[in-house]
Amino acid sequence: MIRSDIIRGHLDAIILRLIYEEDRYGYEISKEIGLRTNDRFQIKEATLYAVFQRLERKELIESYLGDISHGGKRRYYKITKLGKAYLKETVEEWNEIKDIMNIFMEGLG
Amino acid sequence: MKKITKHVEEWFRDIPENEHNQRIKEDIIQNLEEKVQDLMHEGKSEEDAINKAIVDFGDIGDIKAELGVNTEKPRNRFNLHLGFSLWGSGLIIALVLFANFYYTPHIIWFVYPTFAVVWWPLAMFYKWLGMK
Repeated sequence: MIRSDIIRGHLDAIILRLIYEEDRYGYEISKEIGLRTNDRFQIKEATLYAVFQRLERKELIESYLGDISHGGKRRYYKITKLGKAYLKETVEEWNEIKDIMNIFMEGLG
Repeated sequence: MKKITKHVEEWFRDIPENEHNQRIKEDIIQNLEEKVQDLMHEGKSEEDAINKAIVDFGDIGDIKAELGVNTEKPRNRFNLHLGFSLWGSGLIIALVLFANFYYTPHIIWFVYPTFAVVWWPLAMFYKWLGMK
């Protein structure tokens, strides 16, 4: 299991990416993260909802109520135009970070 | 599922009630209820599933921080206690010192009560160090 403090700074990007693919609700996102990482990283619900608050405040995502399921209406999150632009920027930034880290870490371990 | 609602209500106890926060609370309850259903499908008993969902939830402090709820601990009250003990013991020692030299200047006895009184700020000082 990966240390959460390392990945914490990239959570906004991870969640934005998942919402970018399609509108999703909270539990779906946490399941999807576990599924794609083979449970090597699992996001805590508290962290997930904290990220939702941050992203909504920055107007990178917005939410709406979906259809009734499991006895209540699910709240779906969708990415905004600003969110898409931010995600694009984050991807470029990530590629840069990856290149820099590779300079120092490649060939070890 | 009442247990989940109860827990979430408890987590949100010191978060101001408004439409936005109520919405988050309802979302979290629904999220956890769905997780419990999934865990029960995997073979867990309802109680185990609820407990796991609650334990796995994480730190509500993350959400509080985003909602601007002040999660800082109240100001270290031992600053106040230490200050009071210093002033208190200082005044007692000054009184004892005065009495000693005014009434019996040839017998130095003020060190005995001073030694006893000094334990008060000393204890507070170490408590304050521990709280830092």
